[in-house]
Amino acid sequence: MIKLKLSAFVALALLSLNSFGEDTPVAPKRYGQGAGRPSEAQIAEWRAKRAAASEQPARGGAADMAGMPGMGAMPGMSGMMGAPDKPKEYGARSGRPKEEGASKGGRPGGMGMRGGALWLSETPPMRGDGARSGSSRGGMGGMGGMQMGGERGGVAKKRLWLRAGSDPQKSGFAQDDAEAEVATLLVTPNGNPEGEALPAADDSHKGLSFEMPVQGFYRLYLTSRKLQGDTLNVAVAKAEIANIGHGGDEEEINKALVAQRVLESAPIEIVRERKPDEKRFFQLKSGEEQAFIVLQKGLPVQGARVRFVSYQGWSKEAVSDEQGRVSFQIIRDYFPPWNEFEKRFKATYLLIADVTVAEAGTFKEQPYSNVRYQTTLTGNYYPSPDDYASYAWGLGIGTLILLFSGTAVYLYRRRRVQPYREVRFDDAK
Amino acid sequence: MIRQNNSRLQAIRDAVNQVHFNRFRFWFQLLAFALFVYGGYLAIDFGSRLPFFSCGYNQEGRAGVCYLLPLQHQLSQPWPRLFGFAGIAFLTGLLTFALWFIFLNKGWCGFVCPLGTIQDWLTALRRRMGIRYSSYSHTRFEQLTKVKYILLALMILIPLGIGGGLFSHSMSPPFCLICPARMILPLFTGDVTQFTIDFSSTAALVMTALGISVTALFLVGSFVKKRFFCFFCPMSALHYLISKPALLKLKKDGDKCTRCGDCYTVCDMGIREIADDVTTKNIMTDDCTLCLKCVASCPENGALKATFAGIPIFESTEAGFIKRMNKGNKM
Amino acid sequence: MENETSKIVPILPVPYSRSRQAGEAQDMLDHIVEDFQDNPQSMQYFYDLFRSVYCHGDEVKHEGKLVGTTCIHAPEELIYAFGATPVRLCNGSYHYDQKGADFMPAKSCSLVKATLGMLNSDNVIPKIGKPDLIVNPTTCDQKKKSSVMMEGMGYSVYDLELPNVKESEAARVYWQRSVRQFAVRLRELTGKKLTRKNLQAAMAKTSRAQVAFRKLHNFRLKSPSLILGKDAFLVTNAYFFDDIERWTDAVEKLNEELAQREQSGFKAVQSKAPRVLFTGSPPIFPNLKLPLLIEEAGGVVVTDETCSSNRMLYDMTAVDEWLVHDMVDSLADKYLKPCTCPIFTRNDDRIRRLLDLVKSYGVDGVVYQAFAGCQVYEMEYRSVADAFNKAGIAMLYVETDYSVDDKGQLSTRIEAFLESLKNRKKHKG
Repeated sequence: MIKLKLSAFVALALLSLNSFGEDTPVAPKRYGQGAGRPSEAQIAEWRAKRAAASEQPARGGAADMAGMPGMGAMPGMSGMMGAPDKPKEYGARSGRPKEEGASKGGRPGGMGMRGGALWLSETPPMRGDGARSGSSRGGMGGMGGMQMGGERGGVAKKRLWLRAGSDPQKSGFAQDDAEAEVATLLVTPNGNPEGEALPAADDSHKGLSFEMPVQGFYRLYLTSRKLQGDTLNVAVAKAEIANIGHGGDEEEINKALVAQRVLESAPIEIVRERKPDEKRFFQLKSGEEQAFIVLQKGLPVQGARVRFVSYQGWSKEAVSDEQGRVSFQIIRDYFPPWNEFEKRFKATYLLIADVTVAEAGTFKEQPYSNVRYQTTLTGNYYPSPDDYASYAWGLGIGTLILLFSGTAVYLYRRRRVQPYREVRFDDAK
Repeated sequence: MIRQNNSRLQAIRDAVNQVHFNRFRFWFQLLAFALFVYGGYLAIDFGSRLPFFSCGYNQEGRAGVCYLLPLQHQLSQPWPRLFGFAGIAFLTGLLTFALWFIFLNKGWCGFVCPLGTIQDWLTALRRRMGIRYSSYSHTRFEQLTKVKYILLALMILIPLGIGGGLFSHSMSPPFCLICPARMILPLFTGDVTQFTIDFSSTAALVMTALGISVTALFLVGSFVKKRFFCFFCPMSALHYLISKPALLKLKKDGDKCTRCGDCYTVCDMGIREIADDVTTKNIMTDDCTLCLKCVASCPENGALKATFAGIPIFESTEAGFIKRMNKGNKM
Repeated sequence: MENETSKIVPILPVPYSRSRQAGEAQDMLDHIVEDFQDNPQSMQYFYDLFRSVYCHGDEVKHEGKLVGTTCIHAPEELIYAFGATPVRLCNGSYHYDQKGADFMPAKSCSLVKATLGMLNSDNVIPKIGKPDLIVNPTTCDQKKKSSVMMEGMGYSVYDLELPNVKESEAARVYWQRSVRQFAVRLRELTGKKLTRKNLQAAMAKTSRAQVAFRKLHNFRLKSPSLILGKDAFLVTNAYFFDDIERWTDAVEKLNEELAQREQSGFKAVQSKAPRVLFTGSPPIFPNLKLPLLIEEAGGVVVTDETCSSNRMLYDMTAVDEWLVHDMVDSLADKYLKPCTCPIFTRNDDRIRRLLDLVKSYGVDGVVYQAFAGCQVYEMEYRSVADAFNKAGIAMLYVETDYSVDDKGQLSTRIEAFLESLKNRKKHKG
């Protein structure tokens, strides 16, 4: 195990050495695990389609390959040091029209409520083009630095916003829809595994807040049912919040880490697949592969269309396999100038899964013959350490100092004849 | 009956005093190293207030965390919080650390600290290669011995500055970032992630570059100089400040001392007082690592002794000295 | 016809054993052996040794080059390591004292005069042969000035530089340098190399002797005594010229006998016999006048603080790293740091050592011998007397030399002193 890691270390070091020695950009490692460079097919796959905005002329260029973030740009320092390899249209975000006002795209977007897919967000929509602080600590599955526990006061509170659309940054609040039937369900680590209705929020209708008295994972499901013609739209917006700190009851946390994460009664949901070596604090890093499972009533769904939308709006679609599994590589889409780079930049991704089934029934005494299930899941990802941490420089500086000081000490001891020390004995052969 | 018990106790004492001390210490250090560097795999956790470098960056293997990591994190909280409710957490943390410390005093350095053990291994390597060691002249010693206090002050002031918004957060925790243990100890569990330069901000860049430089200097330094790093260790300074009530003590009986300098000769830290000071009873100085090699190399009965809560547990004896220091003579 | 008287009758040299010099030794040895009953049987080795060397003038054999030393400060381990044999040249013979008077002012130290006298005579006793090198540590003035005189006699002399102060770090460094340079000189002399192996073997040799001496010394802790001081002095005096291995064997045998004596409850003296600590100028055979007078008068010398006995063999070397570098420096430390020689500027260590000996050996009184002309001991008398006064220990200060003229007068003083000690003891008891 150690050996393996060490060899990886050497390989990595060589790789980064290589990338520093020449000007030729090397393909980002994260895109080609093994291959080193994304295949044409992969690139084609990633051909950007702006969610729910395919017809917006301002972003037509997004489909252009040259505009792919990360493609052709190195993950290492040249990307970070402010090299102008940032896709142009990202620089011109200010001109971006408000998405939720836009007409629905080629695909039925609005379901439960008006304005596109429903999803639960940790932050309210960003207004204008003001940069959101990415360094907010804590949050979904993130450890947010090495905070030591026992320093927080009072019970942790979480507030989520229900938003509609498919832009993790700018989608607006979901509008109330009188026709829809909405239910919320909160699953707490120590509560009923099938959840309980969320107590009514005392303030604005947009916020969904709850307390997190114990450590563990909290899941909030917001289900909206609405009839549209002969189709019943069932939309489940899901969020999983980790309330895990340093310290605290070890047993409680271990229990939380192995607790059930599937809601048996959910009409549809997406569950993030945990990697086997995931620790208490997990951070998804850009460049990593992440699998999700689409489930209905706890059973895997085959053939669900799943769309992954990155923080900057890049999206990719895939279809779940017979295990309901679908996997995405988290794209790197964070390219600030070096002096603005924030290694704890928290970006939100959005996952939307759709399944339509022929299922007859009645809703509010109206008959329907099809049911369209849609579910969303949001999560966070962070810049990969490969984006800012360099083994090559580390080893380089280390070796340099080692050699320099080693030689200096050697020469000092060998050449310098201090008074009273001109006679010496060395056993070294 | 009592006499019999006494003679049995005396027999045990004699056996302890005549122990092959260096061998004992080597195995003790090895076990401690294995415990604190790999104990995490066995789900051993001694908490995060340990008074030695059980590095917290060795995330998988560590069996506890060096107090300096949480200390700096706590100090770098925003001031209203630090001087508010978090102050209590800080004080309880300090108290827990002090309780751990009191138990072994600086013996944590000489017997348990994994970084200290690594230095002893480097020393052993050099010795095996037949390369002589370097030492500081007395004047240089007097100058350099203050460095640890400067580092300790910076280790407290910089996090406070971070909490007060004066310094960048990417400088936190400042000492850990330049501590060689952060890079070296995770290596033992195959984790090389600390060997990077962090380009995410200027402060991070400077700190990580400084860190890797210190590590390189550490390797060179502790190869040629015994316990090179301990001399500058701010933990050692912190130890000394609270060492008064410690249970394990190094005592000297000046009347029995011939000032032969045997203890000074073997001292890894090169502490002169151990040989020359015949008036101080409690002879542990701020540079001392309480490795007790001086006790093992003292030929005068009872001139040096280690006591635990006032009870002598290891005493210098003529017989012990003869047994230990007679290379080539079978006794 | 030839004149009978013209025949040259050669004056036959008197055989050494019938010389005045041999008589002096014979007389002393007879007193040592015959004035006392119950001499340890294993002492016979030493009696025979002195009889053969000092009374019969037998040759003392040695291996390799012969290195004469005039002081305990010359590191014998180094000499052994180079395959040479050290021999201590300090002499106790009144015969040589008179012969050496030509070299020194009238009122100078008998020891220095005797040593010079011995070196200047044709028939050197002990018959060690001509030293290939004489190491003369720069200790007291009289010894320092002997260097040139010895050179004048045709010896090759090496001045081993000893600092005048021993507390300072500079002195330590200076002395370590001296010792290293001495090693270089020995290399030149012997053509051998100083290696880890031969130095370690040499140190082991000395160390074994030291261990035997320490053991003997520990037997003298017992009250009433198991062995008399005159025998102990004879044993340590033999170390000057005897083969170190043979000497150690003999001491180990003596130790075995003392162990048996201890078990059988043997008393070498009466329980009431005053226990005396002997300090000051060193008694060297045949000048064991003063210790002998003490013990003939019913006292017992239980321990001493002289460079012909305790100080010569007591302090042991500790080494951290068994490399030549560290071993040589450790040796240097051992020869300087614990030394209680009065030639140093201050001498707190001597007083502490004396007080510790008084305490641990249950000493009733102290006899301080100062050779007339041995200024350093004469000068230190005051401070030592003050210290003992403070501690409530009686001290007799005796200024004497190698002549036997003052024997009667000394005997009276010593008897009176011992009587007062007995009275004190009685009152205390």
